[in-house]
Amino acid sequence: MSAVVAVSNLVVSYGMDDGEVFAVDGVDLDVVPGESVGIVGESGSGKSTLGMAIGRLLAPNARFLGGEIRVARRSILSCPAAELRQVRRDSLGFVYQNPMSALDPTLRVGRQVALAIGERAGPAEIEAVLGRVGLPDPARVAAGFAHELSGGMAQRVVIALAIARNPAVLIADEPTASLDASIQGVILDLLAALRRDTGASLILLSHDLRMVARRCERLLVMYGGRVVESGPSGRVFHHPRHPYTRALIRAAAGNEGPGGMLEPIPGVPPVLRRSSPDCAFAERCEFAQPRCRQERPAVHRVDGREVACHYATSELIRADRASAAPA
Amino acid sequence: MNEPAPTIDMRGVGVTYRKRLLARQTEVAAVTRVDLVIGPGETLGLVGESGSGKTTLARVALGLLAPSRGTFLFEGRAFDPQVRRQGALSVVFQHPEWALNPRLRCGTSIAEPLLVQGLRGREQRRQRVRAMLAEVGLDAALVDRFPGELSGGQRQRMAIARALITQPRFVVFDEAVSALDVSVQSQVLNLIRRLQAQHGFAAMFISHDLAATRYVSQRIAVMRGGEFVEVAPARKFYDGPDHPYSRALYATIAGETGENAKELAS
Repeated sequence: MSAVVAVSNLVVSYGMDDGEVFAVDGVDLDVVPGESVGIVGESGSGKSTLGMAIGRLLAPNARFLGGEIRVARRSILSCPAAELRQVRRDSLGFVYQNPMSALDPTLRVGRQVALAIGERAGPAEIEAVLGRVGLPDPARVAAGFAHELSGGMAQRVVIALAIARNPAVLIADEPTASLDASIQGVILDLLAALRRDTGASLILLSHDLRMVARRCERLLVMYGGRVVESGPSGRVFHHPRHPYTRALIRAAAGNEGPGGMLEPIPGVPPVLRRSSPDCAFAERCEFAQPRCRQERPAVHRVDGREVACHYATSELIRADRASAAPA
Repeated sequence: MNEPAPTIDMRGVGVTYRKRLLARQTEVAAVTRVDLVIGPGETLGLVGESGSGKTTLARVALGLLAPSRGTFLFEGRAFDPQVRRQGALSVVFQHPEWALNPRLRCGTSIAEPLLVQGLRGREQRRQRVRAMLAEVGLDAALVDRFPGELSGGQRQRMAIARALITQPRFVVFDEAVSALDVSVQSQVLNLIRRLQAQHGFAAMFISHDLAATRYVSQRIAVMRGGEFVEVAPARKFYDGPDHPYSRALYATIAGETGENAKELAS
């Protein structure tokens, strides 16, 4: 099946007062129709830049330094503005972290849904869209303003705006980060149900590896602007091969047994002033060898997934992998 | 037997807020009826959705809010506001920005509670600050920095240093790790565990994140609609709590990966 989103060798930097900072440093990503892909990384890993770049929705100081993005076969980076608008409207649906800042506080909810549907939508269509995201009493919600909604309801409205035109791809960037724990599951269930019903692909961005592994078929783990490991989520989560993926699992609360200790990753993530000539994780890696600081690791196919590590196939890392994540 | 009195002792505590809505007065029960004992050196985890009464309960425990019903004893006695000035109670918030004055150097912010306590000697204060920074794993040179010059993890360590410098006997951590990245979060969680083992303060760890809560707590209270629906040892939250609502929270951190549930196999 041909990919609905195809990103190849993408490089994005931000122009700062004191020079360039690289956020995405050579990323490939293919998403086939109907697939759910999770992108995991800490803040500064480049996951949000990657997600937003798919709709060319980056801050004005962002620069595309290389690579290509195709959505529904159209080149996002080179197409004219009118065509870009059309791709955004018809093929992409975005769900943001904070629903309250994603909604317009001055427009009634129904009006915002009508704008998302386009073509003079009537009350019946507006309420149908609000009904699809599980809002009780859509007519009342449509007549209200964003500030009259609870966080969970507001996020449902944001999702309604995203799916209003049945996009081929839903991109959700930390969609539950600002919501109560009790509603997080409900919103993720809703996204899963919509994906199933419409056949859309879902790209879920989050720092929560466990949540993403549960919700997506395929995982990409990002570090320092690169994808360090990608593959079927069960395999990546239970038998990680990249040292960073393993370190991330050991550091996260929720993966330890009773009485167990969490192992923080020493050091801090890098700020990339240039495309990294070596392995960006080498500074913090427990297995780092001299080669890791001299040569940028190529992507190796190992054990059903892709790993960007010089020692992906070596015994060095495989030795204690069983201890990484409890089943 | 001469057991020390529990640090926090609440019996049948209820809190009602009066809400004035268009000249009409209505009463809202934030906490309906809670019995709670926290012993010295114990951490009680408090989980529940927003509006469940977690923060209201914490305000009662800190003596900031008198309960409308029931009794609250601090170390076996009726709460005396004087203990607050002694620095016996402390809070660490979600955003360290709220605890640190952006226009004061970190060292000044951290020494402030000592000044309130009445520690006059400048050199003594400086020594206590330096010792405290070492305990939270920060370089002593950071005392001269402003909060804005620190990373999120460093700022939260600073906030913890400020909260603990008076050697409080009770500390509330209110969503203290929720804004931090995974690896920084685990550093701060380990720090909280270590400091408590060293200083033996009683603590209340409020969070919506059950995974973090069970890691630092000995007991966990699950709160909903102003009351506890389950109170159980933290260990129980590793293999499955009883109450349906606790189980729903538990389900968010346990379970299968999506790959196994996929219906669209390639």
